[in-house]
Order: sequence, then C-alpha cells, then structure tokens
Amino acid sequence: MGKGKRNAAIVISSSDDEDDKDFFLLKSKITSASLPRINQKKRAKRASLSNSCSSKDSIASDFGEIKRFCEEFDEGIRGFKVSTGRGMGNDLWVNKYKPGSLEELAVHKKKVEEVKVLFEERLITSEEKLCNHVLLFVGPAGVGKSATVHAIASHLGATLSEWNTPTPTIWQEHLHNSSSGLRYTSKLEEFESFVERIRKYGFISSSMSRRSQVVLLIDDLPVVNGKVAYGRLQRCLHLLVQSVCVPTVILITDYGKADSADYSMRFWEELQLSLQEAGACKVAFNPITINSLKKTLARICKEEQYETSAEQIELIAKASGGDIRHAITSLQYFCLKPKQLPSLSLSDGSSPCLSERTDEITHLYDGSSLSFGRDDTLSLFHALGKFLHNKRESETFMVSDRDAITLKEKFVRFPLKMDAPETVLRQAHGQSRPIADFLHENVLDFVSEEAIDDAWVVASYLSDADLLLTSVNGMVARNFEAENVVQSAAASVAVRGVLFGNSHPVPPRWHAIRRPKLWKVEQSLWHNKCQMLSQRCDTCNGLHLTDPSVIYTEIKPTLKWIKHRASEDFDSQETSPCHMVENIDLDGNILDDKNDMASEDEIEDW
Amino acid sequence: MLWVDKYRPKTLDKVLIHDDVAQNLKKLVTEQDCPHLLFYGPPGSGKKTLIMALLRQMFGPSADKVKVENKTWKVDAGTRTIDIELTTLLSTHHVEMNPADAGFQDRYVVQEIIKEMAKNRPLDTKGKKSFKVLVLNEVDKLSREAQHSLRRTMEKYSSSCRLILCCNSSSKVTEAVRSRCLNVRISAPTENEIVRVLEFIGKKEGLQLPPGFAARIAEKANRSLRRAILLFETCRVQQYPFTHNQAIPPMDWEEYVSEIASDIMKEQSPKRLFQVRGKLYELLTNCIPPEIILKRLLYELLKKLDSELKHEVSFWAAYYEHRMCLGQKAIFHLEAFVAKFMSIYKGFLIATFG
Repeated sequence: MGKGKRNAAIVISSSDDEDDKDFFLLKSKITSASLPRINQKKRAKRASLSNSCSSKDSIASDFGEIKRFCEEFDEGIRGFKVSTGRGMGNDLWVNKYKPGSLEELAVHKKKVEEVKVLFEERLITSEEKLCNHVLLFVGPAGVGKSATVHAIASHLGATLSEWNTPTPTIWQEHLHNSSSGLRYTSKLEEFESFVERIRKYGFISSSMSRRSQVVLLIDDLPVVNGKVAYGRLQRCLHLLVQSVCVPTVILITDYGKADSADYSMRFWEELQLSLQEAGACKVAFNPITINSLKKTLARICKEEQYETSAEQIELIAKASGGDIRHAITSLQYFCLKPKQLPSLSLSDGSSPCLSERTDEITHLYDGSSLSFGRDDTLSLFHALGKFLHNKRESETFMVSDRDAITLKEKFVRFPLKMDAPETVLRQAHGQSRPIADFLHENVLDFVSEEAIDDAWVVASYLSDADLLLTSVNGMVARNFEAENVVQSAAASVAVRGVLFGNSHPVPPRWHAIRRPKLWKVEQSLWHNKCQMLSQRCDTCNGLHLTDPSVIYTEIKPTLKWIKHRASEDFDSQETSPCHMVENIDLDGNILDDKNDMASEDEIEDW
Repeated sequence: MLWVDKYRPKTLDKVLIHDDVAQNLKKLVTEQDCPHLLFYGPPGSGKKTLIMALLRQMFGPSADKVKVENKTWKVDAGTRTIDIELTTLLSTHHVEMNPADAGFQDRYVVQEIIKEMAKNRPLDTKGKKSFKVLVLNEVDKLSREAQHSLRRTMEKYSSSCRLILCCNSSSKVTEAVRSRCLNVRISAPTENEIVRVLEFIGKKEGLQLPPGFAARIAEKANRSLRRAILLFETCRVQQYPFTHNQAIPPMDWEEYVSEIASDIMKEQSPKRLFQVRGKLYELLTNCIPPEIILKRLLYELLKKLDSELKHEVSFWAAYYEHRMCLGQKAIFHLEAFVAKFMSIYKGFLIATFG
C-alpha cells in the first residue's frame, strides 16, 4: 500500500491508548471535519499498527523492520482513499475537498437519501432483530461510495470502524520474519480472523465508541487469487453477512467494464450475488453525472480562485467518465498549466448532435491525446456488438467540401455512430483472429433477410481477413513487427468489411452473441483426424499407407455403409458420422459463460 | 476385408490394367538399375498397387512382411529439438510414410528422418540389393522447403537409398525433384478397363452380373478404380441378386453435398446461408477435405444451373478454391463462395422472372 519515494526520517510512535485496538488490525476514527488531525493520528496509528503486527513476540529484534515500516508510513500515503502529500505542504484537492456534509456530495441526491434511510434503519433498529445489518455498495471506481458512507456516518453521528487490509509483506521482510520465527499469515487469513472476531465479540475494545453507534466499514477486501482463495473469501463474507450484529457496509469496486476476460470479475459478481442471498442489501452506485461533476468542479475552482471557463470544466467532467476523484485530480493538474487545454475536443463520449459531430471528427485524435481523461476500455463483446449492430447516422452530411471524392451510390455509407473501428478494437484489446471468428459466426444474424449481396460482401471481406492472418503464420514467422501490422490490418479488414458490407442491417433487437462454432468444429476435426489416422492401418489391411483424404471420402463411408447394412446392431459407435464427436468440448464451458454474460450486459447497453 | 484390398494384384504379372507399365517396371527392376521413381496420376488409378507389386518384385515375399510403427522422431533443429510423430510402415527392405502428416514441420522430416534412415543400410549388404527403398506418399503436399531438402537428400544418399515418390499431380512437385526421378504417369483407367476389373471380381466372387450393370458402376465411379470397386461392394451388400436397374448408393457425404446444393438453389438469404454453414461444418467435422467439398458442391450446382451462369460460377469457385489453399480457415472461403453463388443466382432469378 505504501509506495513511492521514501523519506529518510525515522518515526517511531505508538499511541498507547489505542494499542489494544490496533492489535485487532482495526482502526477506528471519528469521522469529523477536521482532516489534518485525523491524518496525523492515523499516521501514528499506522506506525503503531505495524509495530504491533510485525513484532508481536520479538519486539526488540525487529527494530530495523519497524524503521522501514515507519519510513513508508511517513509519507502519509494512507490507503487508496486518503493520499496526502503532506510533506509537500500542498494538499491534493481530492482530500482537501473531501465532502464533509451531505450537501457537498456529488452523488445524486436521491441516492444519498436512499442510503441515509438505509443507514438510519440499521442504526436505530440495531438492537431489535433486524433481518440484516449489511449494506453492499457496488459501483465503479471514484463514484463516491466511500465518501457517501463517511458523510452519512458523520451526519448521523455514528462512528465508522474500518477494516483496512494491512500492508503487503515484502519478500525481504518475509525472510526476516521467518528467520525470526514469525509465521507468515496471508492477508486473507488475517481478514478471516478479523471477521471471526467481529462475529464473536463485536466491538468490545473501542474506547470512544461507547456512546455513539458504530458502523463497520469494510472498504478494502483482501486481494485474492485463485478459486480456492475466492471461495474462502466468499464463505467468510457470507458468514459475516449472516451473523454480524452491527451495521456493516461492504464496498465493492466494480471493475466490470475494465477487463472482461478476467476470472476475477466473474468472481466479484458471484460474490455480490451470494452476499445478497445471505441478506445483504445491495446499493448500486452509478457513475456521477456530468452535471453534478461540473457543479463540484466549479465549486472547487471558486474556492481555489482559479479562472476556468465552463467549457473547460465540462471537458474535464466529460473526460473523467463519471469518476469524481479522477475529475478533481485532473482539474488540479489542469490548473497547474492552464494553457494546455485544447479549445474544444471530446475524448470518448460521442454525442449524437450533428453540429458537434464535425468538431468531434476533426478533433478525434486530439481527444485521445488529451493530457487527462481516462482511456475507456470496452469488453470484447461490447465491441463486437458495436460492429455487428452497425449503427449509423440516419442522414449524411458533408465533412469537408474541398477535397470530397464523390463515391458511387453503392459505396456510400452513412457515418458510423461510433469511433473509428480501430479505436474500438484497441479499447477492447481485440485480437484479430478471435475477432474475425466471432464476426464470422454472428454477422449473418445481423444482415437483413433480403440482402444476400451484403452477405457476400461481408463474407468476401472475412475471407480477405483470413488470408491476411494466414500470411502472418507463414511468411513472417519471426518478424514480430510485421506480424503486428498484418494482424491489425486483418482485424481492421474484418471489422470494416463487416461494417461496410452490412449496408442493410436488421433493426436492432435482441441478439445473443454466439461463441464461434468453428472452434468446436476444428477441435473435433482434429480429433477425428487423429482417430482415423490411427485406424488407417486397420482399414487397409496394413499393407500400405493410404492417402488420408481417400480414407475420409471413400473407404470410411463405404465401410460404414457396409457395416450398417451387414449388422444393424454392430454399429455401436459409428452409426451416424455426424454425431460421432458431439461431446468433445474441452474449454468451451468458460467461454460459454462469458458469452452469456456478455450478451446480457450488451443488450442492456443497447 | 474390403474387395479393394482383397483383389489388389500382388505381383506385376497379375496387374490387370496398366499392364504395359507393369511390364516396363519389371524389366527395369530385373536389370538391377533402379532409379528414383515418381508415380503420379489421379486417385484410384493404381499407383499404390503398382508400387506394392514393384517392391515385391524387387525383394520377394519378404516385402509383404511389414509392421506399422508409430514413432516419435527427435529432430535436432539448431537451438531446439523437435519431436515429430509419424506413422511409418516398415519391412526389412523398405519404409513407407506420409511426410506431409508432419504438417509444417515436414521439412525436418524429410531432411532428418530420411537422412537417418538412409544411413542405416540394410543388414544383408552382401546381396546385390544393397539399397533400401523409401516410399513417400503425397509428395505434392510437401512444402517447398521440404521438397528442396528432399532434392539434396536424394543426391547425397542415392547410393544407399532409392526413393519412390507418389503423388496426384506432378505439377506441385518441383522441377528439381522431378528431373531426378523416372517419372511414371499412371492414367485413370477407362470405363472399359474398370468394367473388365469388375467383371473379373464378379467372377471370382461367383456373382451374376446383369448386362450393363458393371458399366453403370463404372460410369458412376468417375474413372476411379477404387471407387468403382467400393461401389460394387456396397451394391453387393445392398442387394444381392443384382437387378438391372438397381440404384447405386452414393457416398454419404456426396449425398449430403447435393442436399446442400438443393438448399442453396431453393432459397437465397442470409438465414439460408447460415444453415448451409452448419451443414458445411458437419462435413468438415467428418474430415472431408474442403477442396473436395467445394469441387463437389460446384459439380452439383452446375448440374442444376442455367448455362448462362456456369462460367461465372465456375470462376468464383476457382477463385475461392485458390484462396482456400492460401488461407487457413476453409469455412470462410467456402461460405464466401456460397454467398457469392446465392447473390449471383438471386440476381439471375430477378432478371429473368422479375
């Protein structure tokens, strides 16, 4: 967690009154408006925390280690939430303008209200038997999940008790520990024992939360890897949800759009589901709207006394993609060099308005080189959906009249309602071969019923793409540079071919994107081939080797026929050629799931 | 045992068709000066039969004692070693294999394995036949590199090793290899020859052949003797006392292709194209080579087509066949052909019938 440059200063501090609590790796603080004090306190706590967890037994021997820890903490970087550059004397605006009250929250009012009600319910009725105490907050990064929790808690006067994943153990430290007899406990294990304690004892230790009510906030679930670890985490959280007796908030950052191929994403969804089943109440946070982003940014500008035009603020707000933390940081960065902002350009949010379209096209590449702004990622299936649905403007307009080449009627297409296909491909991290396969598998569903000519154009472009991809395999075997170029050219041909060829797309309706059947076919083809080759010698009496294609096309069918006729019951395995290898499905399962999921969320998007 | 194997002539003397070639080969071998040989000709014309008979002529009955070996060869290719698995058939005197089975590693196969084998000379060196024979099938499917290394191997080990190459089309074999071999062209048997063979088999099996029946099979077989004999046998299984107008069952996949063809003719739409794709997949799954599918499909389509369109359709078939050879995923090109055909045919229908 603690990263970055290290100060030379050695700080060893331990606050005695909080020792027992730190021992539980549990940090309490009163969320009050006075940030600096908290920060200092926190730092001190971290130091003592490291002290307590790293040297439970042998305090004396671990001095060097403590020192190192302290150095790290001294930077004041604390978690993901508060990253103060205290030493530089210049606060990050993200922390400086952390919302202190409900009014300052950029999250939608209704959502705040909803969450507040939920909180009140849990805080007030916590003594009685409420069916669940757990709230599950889900949303993309930087939409104000934590800020909402903090703000509401302080508004209601409740104490927030946070679980923070302890600092990762670095390798040297681990060596040191194990040489000094300390057993390594993984973060997951620590989390598990923490949950265990919470379930059994609740909060007994905290000295200050005696009067006020306590809300447990689990912000930072331990990073786990592998199915076993996921399973453990899930079980552990499940237990927590079922048996915890204090109001609890679990925050899960939704990485959904970022990387689709990841197993972990599926896991998070499973986790959410299972927690909901266990009775947790899920609250989904949407990206912050551009308007409230603008409002917040404008407020900050006013307070910092920077002159920024509304246009510029809007640009920043749009570029941030609903991530307020990012937007504020961008603003701060922008205010360092006010001149850098290009006059008018948009990064990704394409607006349907025609007058803006021209600007967007001319500034398309400026947009991606904007000094701030997030590079949006797309899931592969989202990208495929874009290509297949082939949404276009309903009327054409002249981009520029001076060097317009007038195309023949049949080559003219309306402008696309998306970025350049290559950009989309890049955002989706699409590899050309799978892209081509997927397009090939699915494109026919999207061609209108009458337009067989279109189908041909598409098919011929896909055939071109296949040729390009093959040349990658053969000729330029070791030349990665060339390979890359050819690969992306092939992908581009395939995608643009599909977009161009499908000039009469069917009106948008529900479509599931299928996994290419081709893969399965290839697999079973290979399998069959091996099988037949191994049988080759039996079929032709072992005297000589026969041409495989002869076996496939002539001898095998004849044999089958004869066998079929001669003994109806003998043909246990070879009756119908076409169903011989239906069952081979080696790695299809994972993909299938992915497929379903993707098609679902794609449909929502449309 | 299938009749194709049962009635395969074992010696050069018993060969029924291409007996002139057989006699020449016999003379060649008895004169002890056997060059490298390259047999080429369409499938089902008797190349393999001649080669087998030739080996027997050279080495006597011991050439029949073969064993099949599925061996993994370790080839040292500079920085790494490559494992190549190949099925070989060996007797004491000869080795037979399909080097093209090794896929894109065929060049190592040819270079290393043949070299290795050529080095191990047969034990009975005191005899006159101090060379080993290597039978390589499907030489035309070898890559260019493999053929080049084949050339070098041929020269280097010609004292200890004779190569018999076998392929369908000599045009895909490089000049260099061809000029180092005695080329033996085996033409496809004529229908009369096929009838003769069928009648011979019928007599041996003690079957009554109605007049004209053998001729009908021969016609169906498209000048492939193997096909003819296989068809003959299926007819025999289907119904024994042959009737005059007995239907000759086609190969299942051929039937399937003609089904596809009529599908295509019936409706031209993306949906139908998708269905056709499914059927093509099924054929491919059953290892029917895509080139053969395309060829057969074209044949079926042309049968039903207005002559006005035949030229254009054939052109596109050739175009996509070529691309199929260059490309990797045959289905892309097969489908493109089907789509093109549909598009042409639909245009034609609209033009003629409005």
